[in-house]
Amino acid sequence: MTDAEHDVLRDASGLYVLGTLEDAERAEFETHLTSCDACLAEVRSLRGVSDALPFAATQVDPPASLRARILAAAGAPTVSGVPTASAAPHAQTVVPFAPKPKPAVSNATLTEQRAPHSRAFWVGWMSAAAMLLVAAGAGIYAANLKLQLEDVELRLVDAVMKLQASEMQVANASAEVTAVRTNLALLSAPDVQDLQLLGKAPAAEATGRAFISRRRGLLFAASNLPQLPGDRTYQLWFLTRGAPVSAGIVKPDPQGNVTAAFDPLPDAPVPTGFAVSVEPDGGVPAPTGAIYLVTQ
Amino acid sequence: MLWILLAVAGASRTAADDQVAIEQMARGNQSALGELYDRHGRLIYSLALRVLRDQGDAEDVVQDVFLQAWREAARFDLTRGNVVAWLVMVTRSRSIDRLRRRQARPQLAAKSEPDGRVDESPRVDVQMEWQSRAAEVRRALETLPLLQRVAVELAFFEGLTHAEIAEQLEVPLGTVKTRVRQGLLKMRDCLAGAL
Repeated sequence: MTDAEHDVLRDASGLYVLGTLEDAERAEFETHLTSCDACLAEVRSLRGVSDALPFAATQVDPPASLRARILAAAGAPTVSGVPTASAAPHAQTVVPFAPKPKPAVSNATLTEQRAPHSRAFWVGWMSAAAMLLVAAGAGIYAANLKLQLEDVELRLVDAVMKLQASEMQVANASAEVTAVRTNLALLSAPDVQDLQLLGKAPAAEATGRAFISRRRGLLFAASNLPQLPGDRTYQLWFLTRGAPVSAGIVKPDPQGNVTAAFDPLPDAPVPTGFAVSVEPDGGVPAPTGAIYLVTQ
Repeated sequence: MLWILLAVAGASRTAADDQVAIEQMARGNQSALGELYDRHGRLIYSLALRVLRDQGDAEDVVQDVFLQAWREAARFDLTRGNVVAWLVMVTRSRSIDRLRRRQARPQLAAKSEPDGRVDESPRVDVQMEWQSRAAEVRRALETLPLLQRVAVELAFFEGLTHAEIAEQLEVPLGTVKTRVRQGLLKMRDCLAGAL
């Protein structure tokens, strides 16, 4: 396994520890753990973090009645019954169950001391209880507020990320609008030349157009261009009174269509024509290959 | 690593107390269950409440978890691990199951209103231990870059799957993995440094 392959596997350690991996990926990672001490050590150390994560939740006291409810339910005889040592073959420490105390006994311990008390005693206790109720109510209210706040925070993060995504879409759209504007400006430039291009064998079916403005640049469109081998590219040329000048390279889509815009070449001589030739990948300084498209 | 014991089970005393409680529970000692609940009930309830955001549901989960501990105490393998990690694991999985069942239903369960029942405050030293540990873990989580933190929280507290997190955050699956791992590693280092 290469280092890069190992790093991809190792990346799963966090989700593995949080129990969030899909089954197949979990099995793959567990197989890896049997042979990789570094990842095993990492998983063990991260397990400590996941075990500590519950402390990151807002700590709220459970209602007092819950404890009594649990103890009462533990005391009640259950239909499913209590597992015995024989039902637990994995037990390291086999401890047979003693008979559970009857619920009546536990209830008695929880609700004992029913001796009569004086009126003043009850008034005192009731006002204390009332104050506790108010305090508990306020505590629960505060805890609820905290939970709601966390909820709002999460929604905010969600909204911020959606906003970022929208901003990117807007940026892309505005880049497209700018490109369209540039092309429009080129097409409507006073000095624009509209050159029709005709295909030459073996690209006799191909057609194209080149709009050339010395100030605004070049807009090139062609169709039916044959697919080229990987080491070949289409290169565009301004034909001049002297040597042809490269205008750039283009890569048609699988259907042989291409549209491309190029910035103006301020120092280039006035073009007398336009041609497209097949050249080695990356382009060449002067045409060497067959011409596929050329002005009439 | 020592800090894990410290961070998770508190002092090793707590872990040892838990083991004793489990042994006694296995013998049918109900007050040992009460002790275990007094030590960890708040953490377990807070976790369930954080996942479910409903007091009634959280109470049901806590009750189920402690009753499961009670029923399975004899089978608990004391050589294998600490009790609180087991409680946390079972609580999280039950809470997430319940959350998913609830979400599958057309109408969401209404949030319970505070019922004003009197709380029974735990011992002061236990409270302080909780508070400082909770503060430490929260601080460690807050040091994470926002997106790492959200990815960890979505995985741990919301129970979202790998694919669901990627969808929610609008990032590729691989990015979720990297982000969660980096987040946990950073928290680990941060918690280790705090002790």
